[in-house]
Parts: sequence; structure tokens; C-alpha cells
Amino acid sequence: MIDRLFTWFDNRLAISRSGRHLLNKIFPDHWSFMIGEIALYSFIVLLATGVFLTLYFVPSGQDVVYHGIYAPFDGQTMSAAFKSTLDLSFSVRGGLLMRQMHHWSANIFVGSIVVHMLRVFFTGAFRRPRELNWFIGTTLMILAIVNGFLGYSIPDDLVSGTGIRIAYSILESIPFVGSYLATLLFGGVFPGNGSIIPRFFILHVLIVPLVIFGLLGAHLGLLVKHKHTQFKGNGAREDNVVGAPMWPTFMIKTTGFLFLTTAVTVLLGAFVQINPIWLYGPYIPFHVSYAVQPDWYMGWLDGALRVMPSWELHLPGHMIPNVFFPAVLLPGITFNVMMAWPWIEAAFTRDDREHHILDRPRDRPVRTAVGAAVLAFYFVLFGASATDVLANYLSVSLNVVLLSFRVLCVVVPLIVFPVTYKICTEMSHTKGAGKRKQYNIIVRGEDGGYSAVPTEAYAGYRHEVLEPIDVDSVDLSGVMGEPEPTGTAGVYQIPRDYR
Amino acid sequence: MRRSPIHIALAGAILVAGFLGISALGAGATTHSVVAKHQAVHARRISTRSSQPVAPELGIGQTLFDENCSSCHGIGAGGSSLAPSLLGRGAATVDLWVSSGWMPLAVPTAQPSRGPDRFTRAQTIAIANYVASLKPGGFAIPSGDVTGASVSLGQNLFSENCAGCHTITGSGDALSGQLNAPSLHGLNPTMITEAIITAPGNMPRFYPGALTAAQVRDVVAYVSKYIGHPDNAGGIGLGGNGPVAEGFIGLFIGVGACLLFALWVGDRSEDEESAEDALKEAHA
Repeated sequence: MIDRLFTWFDNRLAISRSGRHLLNKIFPDHWSFMIGEIALYSFIVLLATGVFLTLYFVPSGQDVVYHGIYAPFDGQTMSAAFKSTLDLSFSVRGGLLMRQMHHWSANIFVGSIVVHMLRVFFTGAFRRPRELNWFIGTTLMILAIVNGFLGYSIPDDLVSGTGIRIAYSILESIPFVGSYLATLLFGGVFPGNGSIIPRFFILHVLIVPLVIFGLLGAHLGLLVKHKHTQFKGNGAREDNVVGAPMWPTFMIKTTGFLFLTTAVTVLLGAFVQINPIWLYGPYIPFHVSYAVQPDWYMGWLDGALRVMPSWELHLPGHMIPNVFFPAVLLPGITFNVMMAWPWIEAAFTRDDREHHILDRPRDRPVRTAVGAAVLAFYFVLFGASATDVLANYLSVSLNVVLLSFRVLCVVVPLIVFPVTYKICTEMSHTKGAGKRKQYNIIVRGEDGGYSAVPTEAYAGYRHEVLEPIDVDSVDLSGVMGEPEPTGTAGVYQIPRDYR
Repeated sequence: MRRSPIHIALAGAILVAGFLGISALGAGATTHSVVAKHQAVHARRISTRSSQPVAPELGIGQTLFDENCSSCHGIGAGGSSLAPSLLGRGAATVDLWVSSGWMPLAVPTAQPSRGPDRFTRAQTIAIANYVASLKPGGFAIPSGDVTGASVSLGQNLFSENCAGCHTITGSGDALSGQLNAPSLHGLNPTMITEAIITAPGNMPRFYPGALTAAQVRDVVAYVSKYIGHPDNAGGIGLGGNGPVAEGFIGLFIGVGACLLFALWVGDRSEDEESAEDALKEAHA
């Protein structure tokens, strides 16, 4: 019956041939190739929890009076958006869990994108033919950050309202067009005519996710087309792909990984409080709380605003305000250089060949050192977004902390670059660097002399380099539940041909 | 002439002490005599202890004051080069500074910081009443009674007047220079009321003026009930430090756990290393 149904569909859609092709796809084995999947699965969690939240959230800046469970707001006037978020937290069954899962998942989403990018950067996976996919990936990261900020903003609480106020000023600081842009987006001078919440909402739940979804398709499509990059070893060459087949090995691994990622999100959502808007209260434009920070992925921008000295540029007839440099120019340069990196590097190395075998970071000391220094710079800026919290906890003057960060964001990258460079060159010239230590046993011989006998790194374990077998030469459909063919432990290869 | 480091340190210490003295007096001190009468009128509206014990307690208070406070504030609380005069400051001021553990200072030049009350409640009240008996003025110790106060109005007033320094969750934060707005956790209603009406240190004066007596009670109700005992309905509260703490958890616990799982599920290929070494040996 199932067989006949399948045949009926296959005769009309012709899926079995391309499906067979897809199931025979080979995924190279390395744990770092699964980082992107954390982002993918967080995105799925975000969509699922987001749909739930949309059922209850009211995207409106209209004033309503609260008469709900949480006593400190009883009788207070607030926006419908804030009220519905309160109700989601206190009155909707499972609502608070969904809110917290959504927020934690957003943090993990952007975090894993960044870690994934670092993996791709430091192993040189962005080189030809993958420059376009790097470009798409960077765009995805920017969109993830933007959508995170939009989602953080729409509950209309005191903390996020302050964030929107800062965003308004950043927009205003753009030379010549800034004030027009800000007025256009907010429907008037801040706080506008109440339309910012519905506008952010539709961007957050429809437009930006749709673009993310489309680009994600392109991102994965290109991945399938180019086939995955791989590290040396196990018979991996530039012209083949060595690893585990899509079905059954990779499918089982990745499904398990989906559940594990979701489990982390559920546990965090259930046990660790995030964005308790009821402790912040509704946003009132003339109220402001101290110690307000954005979510971590915007933290470097906040930090840049804090460490920027109060310089302005006075042009004839126009003044470029201080905010412009850290909040518009810096991200502008950051993202443009990031997107153009494959071409920038190729221009320096004059290397236009295709690369499917990954670099080890230590073998590319300049790239690794540049990456580490830039990362250190943004990490210092991230730290600078908490100047007040640090000053308070360390009982140090706030002014001293701020000054330290001004110095650190220049000094730290300058130290990190040469140190990383040196570590890389030393490691790439040292045999066995980074491997497990092999202890020597000193033995005294019968003639009274001493000799050192090296032990095995993994006692009793001898790894043999396996020769991968062509996946097309074996019938994988019967692999599940049956002994592996010829005892190869599932190391297969397919030719790498994407043209 | 070269000055020795000890001289410089001493001069610095005196400067700091002077600075502390001035900040302890607060802005209100200079205009005190003008507003004292005004305050006395308002003091009746903030509910205070109904019966103030008189004679025997004052004797205990004086003894305690002479033993613990007079070395800086002077015999008779008239102040010295180390510490300001307490005359006319009222019992509420003294009660707040002593019960919060700010006073007495272990070292006269040290910054006051929160700690356990060094005296029993009765002893603290005795000291406060003794100082208040020396010269009229200021406020009596408030009862901290908030029956009938509105936490909702209090939340709104807190958001408007207090969150700017103490943060909206009341966890406190560093201000410019060495100053900081202390945490509001673990305060009883009497201490909160005293802080609002006596404006310690750099804190602005909210009463009388910005807030009415009823509004002070509303704020006290909100702070003592909800800032002191935040409703962490979502789980572990992370100290009310907001997105910075959340970011660290998200990155190190969230992404970190997922990475560990990736390490578990994915493979760490040893061959990559052996192949590399084999290649190097072949070249050598």
C-alpha cells in the first residue's frame, strides 16, 4: 500500500532519483561543522515559540489601563503592547516559558552564528568558490542582530524603550538625511505618534524573518552545491568529499542535535529568568533607569558609544555629531570589511585557486592574528557596555573604568596580534603541537646505561587511516541495522563536482 | 622642599574626610535653618513613633554616643575637622546612618559602606534620640507604616524619581567619580522612609517638595515589598543586572552547552593530525 502510494507520487514528481542523490550526500565528520546547525535549530525554536507569542501579543502603542494579576501596575496606564506582554507572562498558560525560551533562543541564535562565522573565518572556508556564501552568511548575521533588537524593543518596557530612544538618536546622527529618516520611521519627533511598535512588530515577525528564511535557503543550497569543506586526513582531497552519508548516519546525528539544542533552550527558559519586564515597568519617555544595557549582540555598539570621546566634526554649514562615529561609522566599516574579506584576503595572497581543504588556523598566522585582534577589539567594546556595572561591583571609580576601556580597546588588539602570530608560527613549526603528551619511560639497561622509551598517546589504541570507499558503489539503504560493509566504520566518499 | 609620602597621604586623607563630611551634610545642610521650620510642619504628616521615651534612654544614648561617635563628631555632636556637626539633623538622620551600618566608621577616612547594624535597635534609637535632644530640627524616626499605601503609584514614582540612579530593579550602580547609588535590597520600611526624607549623601531631597507624605509612603511600600523581594517568576533572577548577565549566561551556558553537545555528537578526527605529521615527515 505504502509502496503503491510512493510509486504514484514518484511517477508524477520523480523524486526518487534526486532523493537518492540527496541521501547519498556525504558530510565530513568534525564537531566544528555542527556549529551552524545550532543556529539553524535555534531558528526553528524561534519560529515555533514566536508563533505562540504572536497569538497573544498586541502590537499597539495605544494606551490601556492595566487591571491584572501583577499588583504594582494595577490602574497604571501603559501601551497595549506592554500589557499584553505582562498578560503573556502572568496569565497565559505556558506564556512565560515561551517568552523566555524565545529570548534565550535569540541569544543562542546570534551567538552560534558568531561562533560559526569564527570557525569559517579561521579555517579559511570562505575562499573560492565560497565567497558568495560568506557574503550571504554575513548578511544573515546582520539580519539576526537587527531582528534581535526589534524583538527586544516591541514589549515597550522601560529598558527597551531606552534602547529605542538611543536608536532614534543614532538614526538622527546620520549626516544630512538623519533627522528625516528618524522622523519617517517614528512618525514624528521621538517618541513619535505611537506607530513605532506596530512598525517594529511587522518587521520583526514577517519581513526580516522572511528575508532570513530566503537567505538561509540560499546559504544551505550553496552548501549542498559546493559540498562541505573538509580537514586533511582520511583520504580527503580537493576533488572528493569524505565522511558519513546523509542517510542514515548524518540524519540521526543531526536530529539528535536538534533535540539537544532545543533541550538547552527549554532548560534555560524554564529555570533562568530573562528580560523580566514586570520588574522594569512600562516605557514612559520621561522616565529613565540607570544601568540599562542592550542584549549582548548589541553590547559592542553600546560600549563604543560609551568609550567614544566627545568629539564632533564641524563642517561648514553642517555638524557631524559625536554619535555618528561609534554608532554608524564603526558598524558600517565593520560589516563592510567583514563582507569584503574574501576579496581583501585574495588581493593580498594573490590566491585565486579553489579550496575545499580547510586551513588549520596555525598554518595561516596572519589571518588568524588579524581575526583574533579584531575579535579582541569587539570583546573589549562589549566589556565597555558594562562600565557602570563593573565600577559598582569592583568599587572602582566609574571614570577610571571608562578611561581604562579607552586605553584597552587600543592596547589589547595591539598585544593580541603579535602574540597570536607568534603562537601560530611556533605551533606550525613544532611537531605534535597541540596533541596529547606522550610520556617517556626511563629504563636502565643491563649495561648500566639509560634509555627513554616513549609510551603511546592513547594506550592500547592504534588509529588506522581508513581509505574511504565510493558511496555509489555500496547500497546504503540496507546499512541501518545491518553490519557495516567491509568494516569501514562508515567512511565514504563522493567526487566533488559542482559544475 | 620634598614632601614625604606620609605627608601627602595625610593631606589626601584630610581632603577625603572633608569631602565626605560635606557630602554627608548634603545640599540641605546649608539651607537647613530656613527649611527646618518647614520640615517640622511636614514631620507631623509622616507618621512617627507615638511615644518617645525620655529621660533614662537619653542617658544610655549619650554614653553610646560618647563611646562610639564623639571621637569624630565631637562631644555634644558639634562636629570636628573629621566629621560634620549633627546638631539639628534630627533623629531620623542618625537612625538611618547607624542602622544601615554606615556609621560608626572603622577608619575615619574610609567610605561609608553598608554593613550590619553594630547596635541593638534600642541602642540605635537611644543614640538617635540623644542627638535629636541636643538641638531641635530634622525629622523624628518614622514608623515605616505603609498600610493603605499604593504599590502601583509607588512603582510609577519609583520609575520616575529613583530608577535614574538606583536602577529600576533597585540593585544600585556606580555614579561618576567614587560615588555610587547603593542597592535598595534588604532595607526595612523605616530606613527607606528615612532615606527619602533626610536625603543622605548625594541623594537629592524629595521630601518635602517633590513628593507628598502619601507619595513617600507609596514609594516605601513599593520598594520594601517589590524591590526588596522581587517577583522572579521566571526562575533564577541573576541579581537584577539585566542583559549583561543574561548575555553571559546565553553565551557561556547556552551556546557553550550546545558546543559541548556538538563535540559529543560530531567527531574530532585524529587522522587529520596523523596525516599532517606523516606529510611533514615525508617532506623532511
